[in-house]
Amino acid sequence: MKKITLEVNGKPYALECPDSELLIETLRDRLGLLGTKYSCLEGECGACTVLLNGENILSCLALSVEADNAEITTIEGLAKGSEPHPLQRSFVDKGAVQCGFCTPGMILAGKALLDKNPHPTDDEIARGLDGNLCRCTGYIKIIDAVRHASKK
Amino acid sequence: MPLLKEFRYHSPATVGEALKLADKSKEPLLLAGGTLVLNYLKRSPRCPSDVIGLKKIKALEGIKDSKEGVSVGAMTTIAELLDSALIKKSFPSLIQACARIATTPIRNMATIGGNCCSRFYWVDLPAVLESLGAKVVVATSRKKQIVSLRDFLSSKPSKKAVVTRILFPRKDLWGCYFRYTKTMDVDIPSLGLAFACRRNNSKCADVRIIVNTTTSLPLELKQTQKLFEARELGRIDPNQVRECLDADAKGTKLDEYRLSCLAADLGNLK
Ligand SMILES: Cc1cc2nc3c(=O)[nH]c(=O)nc-3n(C[C@H](O)[C@H](O)[C@H](O)COP(=O)(O)OP(=O)(O)OC[C@H]3O[C@@H](n4cnc5c(N)ncnc54)[C@H](O)[C@@H]3O)c2cc1C
Ligand code: FES
Ligand code: FES
Repeated sequence: MKKITLEVNGKPYALECPDSELLIETLRDRLGLLGTKYSCLEGECGACTVLLNGENILSCLALSVEADNAEITTIEGLAKGSEPHPLQRSFVDKGAVQCGFCTPGMILAGKALLDKNPHPTDDEIARGLDGNLCRCTGYIKIIDAVRHASKK
Repeated sequence: MPLLKEFRYHSPATVGEALKLADKSKEPLLLAGGTLVLNYLKRSPRCPSDVIGLKKIKALEGIKDSKEGVSVGAMTTIAELLDSALIKKSFPSLIQACARIATTPIRNMATIGGNCCSRFYWVDLPAVLESLGAKVVVATSRKKQIVSLRDFLSSKPSKKAVVTRILFPRKDLWGCYFRYTKTMDVDIPSLGLAFACRRNNSKCADVRIIVNTTTSLPLELKQTQKLFEARELGRIDPNQVRECLDADAKGTKLDEYRLSCLAADLGNLK
């Protein structure tokens, strides 16, 4: 067991977790942040995406002990109170959500992209989201939504 | 049920400490970006007793330029290589290869050291690094040595050796990397071709052509290299290219499909 400190969505957490625990397990099973999804668990789908110090990473491929002292953002941390984040608003406005399983990861990947490149081209958006799979939408509306958010 | 079996995690601050931990451990495992090895651990019946994280070791970081060449820390991520102005200017073929590796989040996590040390034949970087004459600095508790990437890849893997840096002694090489996949999507390669040479008044010199066959160590195309030596790109008879490729392919697993891809790419070089 190791003692670690994580700052998740702006809130500090002092935790004791097994050395071999994955970040996805800590976020979901200890902190109850269920927006981070268990899916392929092999780095293929992006449903477990979180931001680690601002970069989109896959929480199914990261040890929690290695995130000690890091800032983590999950989908639960984007809205300000009852006001959704502009990307969340755009995903709703553009109909970019169907079953919603990929949506947290998509939005976080979109956020990492826009923080780095506020006015991406469609190709840059597609590349920024290349680690996130969606079984429902066909991607067009997701790209529309990120483009729309970049114009706000 | 937890996704990984239990192990002890260590986070040494120096290469020396990492090596001491590895030497003392019954079953050590070095952890870089984790994109390969953590996946493997989820499925493997075996479990290391000690996982030694390399993230806190400063000596494994950074991209440095000097008269002796470029030195890249083993923990440099693929995304950091893609963002580096020095790598973009000096090694366009390395940028081409990095841009095709996996996906954005994997590129944010995966390291050049992990790619070279994975010992999987299909990974992208060994072929392109070999074409650029890269060497690796390997540290063990007994010694630290600089060896060619080829010698490193041909040697017996050790769990008690840390690759600290990748060295590029030459900055005067132009190069490119072609990569084929089975699907149009993000996919691991089914073939890779790394070409490098010095461009001497539009003629090629010191030509290196290395193929990522995905089923064996990177393959040097010696006959084809000879054909390109002192010749101008775009002015080489495609039939001659194919003849040399056929000679190089003898005794290898390069099939007709792969050979025709290689012939087309080499024929189109400009
Ligand atoms: C979905 C997916 C897609 C992928 N696609 C590609 C692709 O297209 N092309 C490609 O090339 N790869 C691909 N990979 C594989 C992998 O992401 C890369 O090869 C990556 O560079 C491995 O680096 P890492 O830092 O994550 O290594 P790790 O997983 O941390 O380590 C890999 C191995 O190297 C050893 N090691 C790491 N660093 C050192 C060091 N400094 N000294 C000694 N030993 C060390 C470890 O002990 C381990 O055995 C993919 C992986 C996934 C999950
Ligand atoms: S669950 Fe992590 S990438 Fe699919
Ligand atoms: S909306 Fe269903 S997987 Fe994307």
